Amino acid sequence: MLLDVMQAGGGFILLEGNIISGEDVHVLGFESPETQVCAGLDSSSVQRLHFHKGFPDPLGWTCRSSFTVERFTSQHITQLIKDTQHAQASVLVVDSLSMVLRHHDPVVFCQTLQELRNGGVIKTIIGLLHSDLHQQGIVGIVCHLAGTVISVAPADNERLSVAKTTRRTKSGKVMQEEEYFSVSEDAALSVQAKPRQPGHVQRERDVSEADPTSNLTFNLRLSEDERKAKEKVALPFVFSQQKKSALLRPTPGSGRIVYEPDANDDFDEEDPDDDLDV
Amino acid sequence: MAAPVRGMAGSPSIGNTTSFQKKTRSKLVSIPGTRPSVQNGQLLVSSGVSSLDYVIGGGLAVGTLLLVEEDCYDSYSRMLLKYFLAEGVVCGHELFLASARDHPDEIMQELPSPIVDDVAGMKISEGQSQPSDPENPDTMKIAWRYQNQPRVQTALASSVRFGHYYDVSKTMEPELRQAAKCHSFYQLQETPVTTGSSPLPSPYHALLKSIQTVIRKEGFDGSTPQSKVRNVLRLGLHSLGSVLWGDDVCCKVNPAHCHALTTFLYALRGLLRTSLSVAMVTVPSHLIQNRAIMGRIIRLSDTAIALESFRGSEKETNPLYKDYHGLLHVCQLPRLNCLSSEVPDTKDLAFKLKRKQFTIERLHLPPDLSETVSRVSKAELAAGCGSTAMGNKHLDF
Repeated sequence: MLLDVMQAGGGFILLEGNIISGEDVHVLGFESPETQVCAGLDSSSVQRLHFHKGFPDPLGWTCRSSFTVERFTSQHITQLIKDTQHAQASVLVVDSLSMVLRHHDPVVFCQTLQELRNGGVIKTIIGLLHSDLHQQGIVGIVCHLAGTVISVAPADNERLSVAKTTRRTKSGKVMQEEEYFSVSEDAALSVQAKPRQPGHVQRERDVSEADPTSNLTFNLRLSEDERKAKEKVALPFVFSQQKKSALLRPTPGSGRIVYEPDANDDFDEEDPDDDLDV
Repeated sequence: MAAPVRGMAGSPSIGNTTSFQKKTRSKLVSIPGTRPSVQNGQLLVSSGVSSLDYVIGGGLAVGTLLLVEEDCYDSYSRMLLKYFLAEGVVCGHELFLASARDHPDEIMQELPSPIVDDVAGMKISEGQSQPSDPENPDTMKIAWRYQNQPRVQTALASSVRFGHYYDVSKTMEPELRQAAKCHSFYQLQETPVTTGSSPLPSPYHALLKSIQTVIRKEGFDGSTPQSKVRNVLRLGLHSLGSVLWGDDVCCKVNPAHCHALTTFLYALRGLLRTSLSVAMVTVPSHLIQNRAIMGRIIRLSDTAIALESFRGSEKETNPLYKDYHGLLHVCQLPRLNCLSSEVPDTKDLAFKLKRKQFTIERLHLPPDLSETVSRVSKAELAAGCGSTAMGNKHLDF
């Protein structure tokens, strides 16, 4: 069960990838109209896309919307999905979760998401969350619940935006990626590799690795003959291999003192001054 | 601590200067998978990771609570929980697993499989001398007398074989897993109970009731006379305090139920002290907004460790940390029936999850052998105090 949360300052979700893979997509649109989201999709894809209108009346004040924010509970949503013909392999897209979070208790909201995830009716939930509209704690708990988090921000270059993806697998592996993308007029997404940044840290590191022996007035390098002669020099404590291994053999006690008793150590208990004539 | 003697065997004094004898071992129950502590005579169980046992003073004392502060993505704390449960399965203890996010059965299926052959024996001999042979590329040319000296022993391990080793790449066999009795509590499946007078919100109350029922029914607190061999109950509680447990301590600075988790831990510790059980609780401390609540949670548990993973942080590219997966902080160690506790001699601990071992090592700075370090600084100095401001690198004498 995947839960994608996109943090964005703005922008809308592109659904083409999901529809092409043959899944049913249910969109709960609270923030953008249907025409904007479905623009650019061909007719067969539109059939698999079920848009539940929440915009422009997400709270149901003028009774013009089919799905209001209060109805974001697991029973209602499961019912909504089961009402359509095929109720398998559904993807639920919520635009946006911020709207729902403002009118529901965060604890209840997270429990709803968990119930939807484990319900079996929905395979994937993709939600858009505006991170600047909530407190840090709330953004933290929703991201903690999510299996994949994509953070979108404008890059230094105005034309491109950067998307940082963090994916968590069941086994505990975490994968992170950073991609640059741009959205064109007809809602086509083009992902690019990281653009080269002018005059940055990598250049400086190259400079410091220049060979220091190059521009000197004296010679610090060795020619081939000199290197051979250097290796032939006999080092003072270089022994043959047998002597080395004999010295290296582990002795039973390192630091053992070998001492032969001296003449002065011959101590007689009964004659300490050694002057008795016995 | 005026607790019944069963869980913790008290001994009056262990100091060398007194002539008191330590209480005889006959008071301690002999349960498989446990051993008495050499420091204060408590009954210890292994946490599943032998390096962690060494760091927290030999093992987890029966009747205590181990708090693990989770890392950001909950990968290593979950691994520690699985090690804890796997150790319980291998030693034949009973298990109790509670989780709100993933079903306990899923966690049980991911337990690592134990390594049967004696890995600990091999590890101890690794540090000793290796016979030198001429083809060995490690033979040194000039300092050859130091060839056979043991390398710096950074891995922390005690010499006594207490815990087991696990292979993370394989999961435990179902027969072995089913041989152990496991009680589970899955938050999502519990029907909410109306708690009129309880200070705890509903999920914690239900969890506490469930633990109490298990302890009483299976006789871990001595209430029912057990005819069979006494056993230890291992409780694993995953991600307490997270939103899925119905607690809002993670989303607000002033949560509505700010005493919920602390009350639960207090009651849990009371249950643990009066029974033969050990609990391991993981808490997503990075989400808890109010540091005072986190401090209370640490004080209410006995042993507290925090995992800090390098994944996703700027420390990942730091060359100092390139061999490790994260840092381990020991926040608190218990003083059980004694005045002082044994602390590990170093606070800089780093962990690494290898396939066959979760090692916790002393983080030490490697010798600074890089040649560019001193060269760069000398070049900058020369440019600074030299007369040529054009950056001419000629060293002219």
